[in-house]
Amino acid sequence: MPGRREIIRRVREGATGIAAPAAAGTGSALVRVDHVQLGYWVGNRFHVAVGNASFDVQPREKMIVIGPSGCGKSTLLKAIAGFISPVGGTISVSGRRTLEPGPDRAVVFQEFDQLLPWRTVLDNVAYPLRVNGRSRRAAAATAREFLELTHLGRAAERFPHQLSGGMKQRVAIARALALDPTVLLMDEPFGSLDAITRQRLQVELNRIVAQTNVTLMFVTHSIEEALVLGDRVVVLGNAPSTVLELVDVRELGGPETVEYSQMRGRLRSLLAVDQEEEVENLGGVD
Amino acid sequence: MAVSTEALATPVKPRALGWARIPAVVRYIVVAAVLVVVWHLYAVHKGPLVMATPWQSVQAVRDGWQDGSLGHATWTTLRLLFQGIGIGIVVAAVLVAFATLSRFGEDVLVFLTAILNPLPGVAVLPLAMLIFGLNETAIRFVLANATIWPLAIAVTTGFKTANQTLVAVGRNIGLSRVRIITDILAPAALPYAVAGLKTAWAFGWRTIIAAELVFGVAGAKGGLGNYINDARLNLLPPRMFAALLMIAVLGVVFETLFGLLERRTVIRWGMKTS
Repeated sequence: MPGRREIIRRVREGATGIAAPAAAGTGSALVRVDHVQLGYWVGNRFHVAVGNASFDVQPREKMIVIGPSGCGKSTLLKAIAGFISPVGGTISVSGRRTLEPGPDRAVVFQEFDQLLPWRTVLDNVAYPLRVNGRSRRAAAATAREFLELTHLGRAAERFPHQLSGGMKQRVAIARALALDPTVLLMDEPFGSLDAITRQRLQVELNRIVAQTNVTLMFVTHSIEEALVLGDRVVVLGNAPSTVLELVDVRELGGPETVEYSQMRGRLRSLLAVDQEEEVENLGGVD
Repeated sequence: MAVSTEALATPVKPRALGWARIPAVVRYIVVAAVLVVVWHLYAVHKGPLVMATPWQSVQAVRDGWQDGSLGHATWTTLRLLFQGIGIGIVVAAVLVAFATLSRFGEDVLVFLTAILNPLPGVAVLPLAMLIFGLNETAIRFVLANATIWPLAIAVTTGFKTANQTLVAVGRNIGLSRVRIITDILAPAALPYAVAGLKTAWAFGWRTIIAAELVFGVAGAKGGLGNYINDARLNLLPPRMFAALLMIAVLGVVFETLFGLLERRTVIRWGMKTS
């Protein structure tokens, strides 16, 4: 049986054959994902999630990553955040290639329990600022500012367990934004919310992103969410995934327009067609 | 907004009948009165050389406080207990931190815990007496040994079951490995740590009283265990009961303090329901 290193080598070699859309070679890209191959160990088996993906994220852009479950969209976000490193290819953020987790790529996770239960809402936002060298007073002031931005000013002294799911996610957004990240990474942050709260938070996120001019990378499996929030949408296929399409949705009108429903239909068919192929593509690499 | 839990929290139970309808305070007073009467009757039956009546016991507590002997014994025992458990907490914290940071440390901790945790605290007292002599250091050693292992097990479990999302958040905001332990894992493991502290405290109490009884036999003086042993030697059952009452009262007091600690921390933070 081959060792883990050998398995990774074989995975990497296998990837060179896959045709991938070339990365848009503009120099201004903030996040550059270049022929990236990603996977994770399931016992002694290496599961390749992202086969070969390339795309760029421009400053102040809202980039949505969408794809069927298991396609590696969350894994890709974790790699950009620095939690895992790619098997092949390179990821660079502001030109830096060796990525350790850090506050310049603040993450909003899907889980409600991403807030520290032993700290108040205010302190949950202020504490990461103090960790990064701000004085107690400056941290509290900035935290208040971002809690106001997310309409949480009145909940500042509460503990996380006293909040609803939607409020917890808004605190997590405030915490991430307060760190003034180069790119804000969001991993299906509204995935566990009910439909109404989800829609409300989408609208609110659009407003907050517009006010802060932050660059956003947002993972979701909802086509509607992608169209409401995104400037561009990266569509990943089934694992081992490649970029099926990179579409621009910023000029799209509201949900009532023809363009919107055409785009929705197009994304639906991309994701649906791909699901039928899933049967043939189940294999990982042993 | 959090859902109002008051309506939901009202337990569904059949309407109370008879005894259960009496207010709790009254019920406990009645139970206590019955116990005191039974105790009294048994003491009278056995005679003053074996048993003390409740009233004699209470008088012995008062006399003991007035002449300072009971206060001194209580203070000696508590002081040793705090010192022993204090050493135990520090050593357990170091061991767990070491185990979290390195695989070798983890192996050492697993091995030591497996061997030493099932060992009753007093079992190492003779050894401690040989190494340290007949002094308080021997008792501190035995106490530390009795508290390190339950604490280490509890905190390790707390670390292992800590929410991985919080650890990821810690790394994301730029915490170092040491600060992830102190700022994320330690508070996340607090419900387990408090439970471990309760166990350590209970083990400590049992161990120190037993150790003092053995020391009483061996001649050293000081704590509540000695107090009980002296009372037995001098055929003074009331003094024996006075010490037992002190131990019981202290047990209730510290149980209450642990409850307060939990209410101010893990319950307040929603990490444990009361």
